[in-house]
Amino acid sequence: MEQPGEEQAGPQHLAHDAEAFMGLAHGAALWSPDGTLLTCNPAFARLFNCFAGSIPAGIGQRQFLDLVEQSGLLVQSSQAGGEPADAGRLDILSGRTMVFSDGTVCRIVGSPSRGGGTVTLCLDATDATRNARALERARDSAVTADQTKSRFLRAANHDLRQPLASLKILIYSCIASTNEAERSQALHAMDVSVAIMEDLLGALLNIGQLDAGKVEANVTTFQLASVLERLRVQYDHQAREKGLDLRILPSKAAVKSDRVLLERVLGNFLGNALRYTEVGRVLVGCRRRGHLLRIGVYDTGCGIPKEFHEAIFDEFFRIAEQQDYRKHSLGLGLNIAKRLAHVLGHPILVDSRPGMGSLFAIDVPIGNVWHSTVGVQEINERIGGEFAGLACLVLEDDVHLRNALTTLLERWGIEVLTLEVFDDIAARVAGLAGRPDIIITDYRLRGGVQGTDAVNQINDVLELPCPAVVVTADTSPDLIASIRGQGFPVLIKPVSPSGLRVVMHNLLFEPELVPELS
Amino acid sequence: MTEASTTQEPIPIGSMVPLSGTSANDGREFRNGLTLAVDEINAEGGILGRPLRPVFIDSGRQTAEEVVRAARILIREHRVHAIINGYNIGPQNSEYEPIADAGVIYIHHNTLLQHHDTVASDPDRYFGCFMGDPAEYWYGQGFIKFLSWLSESGQWKPHNRRIAILSGPKPYSIVIANAMASASSEFGWQLPFPPRIIRTMVNDWRPIIEEVRRHDPAVLAVTQFHAGDLAKFHLQFMEAPMSCLVYLQYGALHRTFSNIVGDKGRGAIVGTVIGLPRDEMGRHFAQTYKAKFGPHTTPEIGCQPYSSMHHYAIAASVAGGTGGPGAFAINRRIAKVLLNLPYRSVAGTVRYHPKWQAAVPYPDATRDPSLGLPHLFYQLREPEDPPALIAPEPFADAAFELPPWL
Repeated sequence: MEQPGEEQAGPQHLAHDAEAFMGLAHGAALWSPDGTLLTCNPAFARLFNCFAGSIPAGIGQRQFLDLVEQSGLLVQSSQAGGEPADAGRLDILSGRTMVFSDGTVCRIVGSPSRGGGTVTLCLDATDATRNARALERARDSAVTADQTKSRFLRAANHDLRQPLASLKILIYSCIASTNEAERSQALHAMDVSVAIMEDLLGALLNIGQLDAGKVEANVTTFQLASVLERLRVQYDHQAREKGLDLRILPSKAAVKSDRVLLERVLGNFLGNALRYTEVGRVLVGCRRRGHLLRIGVYDTGCGIPKEFHEAIFDEFFRIAEQQDYRKHSLGLGLNIAKRLAHVLGHPILVDSRPGMGSLFAIDVPIGNVWHSTVGVQEINERIGGEFAGLACLVLEDDVHLRNALTTLLERWGIEVLTLEVFDDIAARVAGLAGRPDIIITDYRLRGGVQGTDAVNQINDVLELPCPAVVVTADTSPDLIASIRGQGFPVLIKPVSPSGLRVVMHNLLFEPELVPELS
Repeated sequence: MTEASTTQEPIPIGSMVPLSGTSANDGREFRNGLTLAVDEINAEGGILGRPLRPVFIDSGRQTAEEVVRAARILIREHRVHAIINGYNIGPQNSEYEPIADAGVIYIHHNTLLQHHDTVASDPDRYFGCFMGDPAEYWYGQGFIKFLSWLSESGQWKPHNRRIAILSGPKPYSIVIANAMASASSEFGWQLPFPPRIIRTMVNDWRPIIEEVRRHDPAVLAVTQFHAGDLAKFHLQFMEAPMSCLVYLQYGALHRTFSNIVGDKGRGAIVGTVIGLPRDEMGRHFAQTYKAKFGPHTTPEIGCQPYSSMHHYAIAASVAGGTGGPGAFAINRRIAKVLLNLPYRSVAGTVRYHPKWQAAVPYPDATRDPSLGLPHLFYQLREPEDPPALIAPEPFADAAFELPPWL
């Protein structure tokens, strides 16, 4: 029985259908009841453009699929739910997902045509597939992160409870105790507990940042010496307290790495070495290995059995017999080091045997010394100016002027000293944080003191004439002549930075250019 | 009239150059460089059709008073639209004040770290002040890298890591000495004593040389820059040379130095943060310059205002014209273009640092030779030969050789 709509399937409608078929954005093909190609639209021809000319009319689906696969156009072609037995099936395209070599993914949908054949539609599933894959990856990583976090929190919870429990007891003891020595001992122990918690929270922060992928390497070329010097300053005291000989051998090498992250890796190695070495030495040294520099931390500590050489880099891993509460190791340092090294792309290695000490090392690419950046990013007078490192004594009652002058001088790298009371100059000068190289004084100081007199008294105390410049708002020619007559250059307020700079330079470095001094 | 104009009235360009006094030789080269650039620009139609007219004022001994006076004359009497010159040693940025008040463009080559500080202290006020070469600070840091490169590449094997530094009394010398000192330890060098600042230049360097000898340094760096002082020092050093490399600041590139020192200068190291690379552009400029001003002139110095004049002309054309004192709007536009448009001059690429408004040096502050003015290291050869350009790549055209006294 004919369907109502089919009554209208006259030649005009057929023409419309054919036009719609050809204009479809999706690839579409019409196959005969015996499975041979009757026609296809241009989108289908474009999709399967691996034939020498057009797709041969009358080609069977099996032959079509074989030729397409042989051409290398497809990187994958599979049936949903696995390959069914094709034997006897004429429509073997429907239900397939095809991955093309350009990354396009198509889902092939088949439906019966009016004449008993099959219409094949190729639906673009590229975005949907990519989204599904991304979702899958995100889910997997969330599950892993969740598992890691749970494991991590369980372990952290355990480690955090121990110092916390100690702290509660110690606080109680401290409150109850009336003995000063006992209180002092308890306070020291509390300090240790807090330090342990600080370490743990710091490590948690590091791990958290690494987990969140927020740690990114900012690779530059720099002198390793700057990092080694910072490590020396950080760990020297700890080594001396423990009676260990910490030696950091100098290096002249430029390396290509992230200055901060590399320092954290080496800091973790060094902290571990000092923790697990009771007597002897901890040594940091470098050795060139081709285009790499191996930075090693050697210790004369207890050593690590070979079977633990991998496990020591796991979170919270500690070798049971090497642990005691005093070492308060969290078992995170090496894990952080390993993960930071991974971010940096630098291999790390360990060489150790029980009783023979350990070596922890990281291999860093050697950089070009010409590209080496020094620690300071901003080049200004504070670090390299002609006055950098000098001290200036400022005598100025007006707090606003004094602050403005201090800001200016500090920007030039000068350490500013001030005196505000002039009753006992000797005592006041003795109380200064340093010896001035130059003095800037207002002429009229508090209590009727004249700046020139104050400078003379200060010079008496210093027993060496300190160059001085006098500033004044009084433009009376007699006064200015009188100050100059006493051998002081004068600047009139408001003082311009460039004018002050010229006078200061001349006073300090070219006194023959100061007329008042000649 | 202050804003951009389409009239053919010449645009006055001021220049404060030492045409008398001890730096008159340099002053003449600065005048030559600016004159050549103005001639070339005028031959191509000037800036948007207006020719340029240079106005030179003698800055004499280059003291603050003389340079400020020169700036005031250029602004008040000549109504200049820009001031472009080489270097003046003494003004310590005092001249920035009248120039900032007038709001005109000022490009100089004073090679001073003070410029960074002054511009940073009030970027809006000093918008028009540019330093066409890097600060002298980079001499210090770059020299330490140069030493490390020589040593690590095996071209020179120092017998220890000690550097003795002698400085002149000018800020330029002191800053270079301080910068050498501060970078030394990071590169594994030590100072046997803090940089010695010699407050009054001496004719007899022998007592200081003997004092240095007691420390047996591997390097002796002198940051005083006057050719005459350096020549006296070097001749006295060569009376009984120490086993060390000798670095002489900039002035040893002058002909005056080689005239006095002769073949005893061979082997000394000299550096400059603005010079003429010996590439196609540098050689062509040198030929043109000497053809115009004579074979005994020094294009290595004249190239400074020459390059900055061309850079200014391009920037003004892009900005839409020039403006004299009080024409802040157009001059701010020119300043913005100068900052944003690097210029490959005959001396290398002038790229202004956005905060410092000073040329960025290569390889001291950028790894890209196309984005910085090359900090060139020379080694002196025979007095009649040009000094060997030994670093950095890709500008070097000769190899380092051990000085004859080593």
